[in-house]
Amino acid sequence: MAISAAERTALREAVRDLLQDACTEQDVRKVMNSDEGFDRGLWRQLAELGVVGMLIDPGYGGSGFGALELEAVTEETGAALLPSPFISSGVLAASLIQAAGPPADRERLLPALASGQSIATVALTGTKGTWTADGVDVTAAADGTLTGAARYVTFGQAADVILVAARTADGIGVFEVAPDAAGFTRTAESVFDPTVRLSAYAFDGTPARRLGTAGWDAVQDALDLAVVALAGEQAGGARRILDITVEYLKTRVQFGRFIGSFQALKHFAADLLLEVESATSAARHAAAQYAAAHDPAVGGDSSAADGAVALAGFACAEAFETTALQAIQMHGGIGFTWEHPAHLFLRRARSGAQLFGGSRAHRERYLVSKGA
Amino acid sequence: MAGTPETTDTPPPSAEELRAEVRDWLARHWTGLPPNRDVWRTSPERTAWLDKVVDAGYAVPTWPAAWHGRGYPSELAAVIEQEFAAAGAAGARQDKYNIAANTALKFGTEQLKHDIIRDVLTGRAATCLFYSEPGAGSDLAAVRTTAVRDGKDWVVNGQKVWTSGAATADYALLIARTDWDAPKHRGLSYFVVPMHQPGIDVRPLVQITGESHFNEVFITDAVVPGEYLVGAEGDGWRVLQTALAYERSVMGDGARASRNHTLADDLISLARAHGRLDDPVLRFHLAKVLALRELNALNNARAKADAAQGTSSPVMSLGKLAMANILHAEAGLRTEIAGAETLLAGAENPEADDVNFLALNAFFTSIGGGTDQIQRNIIGERVLGLPKEPEVDRNIPFRQVRRS
Repeated sequence: MAISAAERTALREAVRDLLQDACTEQDVRKVMNSDEGFDRGLWRQLAELGVVGMLIDPGYGGSGFGALELEAVTEETGAALLPSPFISSGVLAASLIQAAGPPADRERLLPALASGQSIATVALTGTKGTWTADGVDVTAAADGTLTGAARYVTFGQAADVILVAARTADGIGVFEVAPDAAGFTRTAESVFDPTVRLSAYAFDGTPARRLGTAGWDAVQDALDLAVVALAGEQAGGARRILDITVEYLKTRVQFGRFIGSFQALKHFAADLLLEVESATSAARHAAAQYAAAHDPAVGGDSSAADGAVALAGFACAEAFETTALQAIQMHGGIGFTWEHPAHLFLRRARSGAQLFGGSRAHRERYLVSKGA
Repeated sequence: MAGTPETTDTPPPSAEELRAEVRDWLARHWTGLPPNRDVWRTSPERTAWLDKVVDAGYAVPTWPAAWHGRGYPSELAAVIEQEFAAAGAAGARQDKYNIAANTALKFGTEQLKHDIIRDVLTGRAATCLFYSEPGAGSDLAAVRTTAVRDGKDWVVNGQKVWTSGAATADYALLIARTDWDAPKHRGLSYFVVPMHQPGIDVRPLVQITGESHFNEVFITDAVVPGEYLVGAEGDGWRVLQTALAYERSVMGDGARASRNHTLADDLISLARAHGRLDDPVLRFHLAKVLALRELNALNNARAKADAAQGTSSPVMSLGKLAMANILHAEAGLRTEIAGAETLLAGAENPEADDVNFLALNAFFTSIGGGTDQIQRNIIGERVLGLPKEPEVDRNIPFRQVRRS
C-alpha cells in the first residue's frame, strides 16, 4: 500500500518528533553503553507509532507500507542515529517472512513482529561477510539440522525469532532456529559502531525448520529492501552531520572571524552539500524503483530496480562516509574528542558501508544493470 | 494584431481558453523549423516569424501591452511557453530570457526602449555582453573600462574579454566605471553601446581547444548616446544584477558534446571496444562516472519536482558544479580508456582528438559562467548561509584598490 506524498511527510514528521524527544545524542550515548544496544521503551513507542510493523500486511497487524514510506522513515532514524533492531527485524526478517514464508508461519510470526513484542534477525553471511549466496557458511544436513557459523548477525543477541540461511542439497534455504535449540550458541561481537550490535552464531547439529521454499532469491529481495532502508539512513545521517558542521562554521571564531568565512572550509561544505543531495536523490530513487517493481499494478522494471538499489547502495554509503570524515576534519580538535558526536556519525557510516554487501559489490551490480 | 486582446482592460482568459487560442494560432502559422538550423538563425524567414510572435503578444506575455505584451501573470505566460515548446516553435517567453530586452524595459529610457526593444525581440538586432575584463573575471565589480561624460554623450575606453557574438552584434551591454573615487560597486554604470562605430575593435580569442567562440574587444573613444545610459549613473551594479539573473536562466545544461561524431558516446561501448571492460580498476572508475551522471539527473529531476510544488531546492545551484565534476571525470575516464592514442591529434585521429578535446573543454564549464570556486562560494553563502569572506576593497575609493 502506497500513501500520498503528504501522508508520507506526516509519517516522517511523526517519527522525527518522537526521535527528537526520545533519541537525543544523550539517549544514543546511554544506549551505546547498555548491554542490549537499544532502548526497549523507545522500541515500544516506535511500534505504537506503526514504524516497527510498517512493512507488515494489515492482516498481520502491520501498516502494509512499502519502500517509499520505509525510505522516508529511515532518513529520520539515520539522522537521529537511532540504535534499534528495526532494519534487521522490521525490514529484513519481516519482508523475508512475508514474501517467502508459508501462511502458517506468517500468522505465527508476523503479528508479534509488527507489535514489537518479538524481535527477529536473519543470519545471512559467514566470516567473509559478503551477504551473497557463496558467503553462507552454514550447511543443512538431510535431517534438517544446521552446522556451521554465521557472523555479523544484526542485533543477534536480542532476537527471539532467528532465521538462518543455510546450504542445502537444492541451493540456499532459509531456516528458523529456536533461541534455545540444542547446539546453538550466540556471542555478542565487540563492535566498532556501538549503535549497531552484531553477533556471531554457531550451529552444531542444531535442529531447525525450513521456512517454506524460500531460497536466495527471496533473501536477495529482502536484502534489497534493507539496502533501501540503509541508504535512507545514510542520506539522513549525512544531512544531519552536515547541518551540525555548518552550524559550527557559523559560530566558531578564529583569527577574529567565523571560520565559515574561510573558503577552505566553505568550499568543503559546498561539496558536501552536493554529496548529501545526491545521496538523498539516490535513496529516494531506489525506493521508488523498488516500490514500482514490487507493485503488480505498476509492473515496474526489476532490472531498473536492481540498478537503482545498487546505485543507492554505494552512493549513499560513500556520501555518508565522506561527509562524516570531512565533518571531523572541519571541526578540528573538538571533532577528535569522544564527547563530540561527529565520530558517532562516522562509526555509523563505516558500519553501514559494510552491512548487507559493501560498495564494491553494489558497484559491480550497478555496472551489470547498465550492461557493462 | 492577429485578433488577440491588446488592451489591459480585457480580462485575461482562463488557462484553457488561452491554450486553445495558442494551439490554434500555432496550427495556422507555425510551419516548423527548416532542417538546417544554422541557416535559420540568420534568415529573413526567422525575422518574419518573430514579427508574428511579437505582434501576437506571445514574445513577452508578462509585459505591458504598450511594449508588445499582454500583462499576463506568469502562470498564463507558462501556458504559452508550453504550447510553443510542444510545437517546437521559437520566440515565445522572451520576457524570461532576453537579457537586452528585459534590461531595457526595466531600466532604459523611452528613447532606448523605442530604439532597441522590438529589434532585439524580432532578431533584427543582435547583442553581446561587455562584462568581463582581463582584470575583472571572478571579481566583476573591479572593471576598469571607463565612461566619461562628453556633452550629452559618453565616451568609453577600455578592454573587454569573453564576449561571444561581438563580431556580429549591433549593440553591446556594457558595465563601465564612471566614478573612480567611489567604492568599487558604487562607481559603475550600465550602458547600451552601438557596435557599428570606429572605436570598437573586435578580435577573436582562441581557446585552449583551438576553437574560437569568444572575442576580446578593444574600446577606444567609442561614443554612447546619453539616452543609452541604463538606470542611473552609479547604479550600474544593480542593473547588472538584474541582467545577470536573466543570463543565469539561459545557462542551463550548456556543456557541449564531443566535436567528432565518430566516437560512441556510450562509455561502456567505448571501454568494450578497447577491451578494457574486464579491468577492475577501469570498472571502478566507470561506475563512478556513470553514477555521477545518473545522480545529477536524479538531482535535477527532484529539483524540478520541488519547483513544481512551489518549494525551492538547493539542488538547482549545485547543478553547474556537479556538471563540471562530471565532465572532468568523464574526460579522465575516456583518456584512461584510449591510452597512448591520446598522444595523437588531428582529423586523422578522430578518437584521440575527441578525447583530448573533452579533456580541455571540461574547463569551459568549470571556469566559464563563474569558476567552480566562485560557485562554491555562492553555494556556501546563499544556500548554507555561511558568512562572506571579508572584502578589503569594499568601502574604499576604487582608485586606491590594489590591482594585479
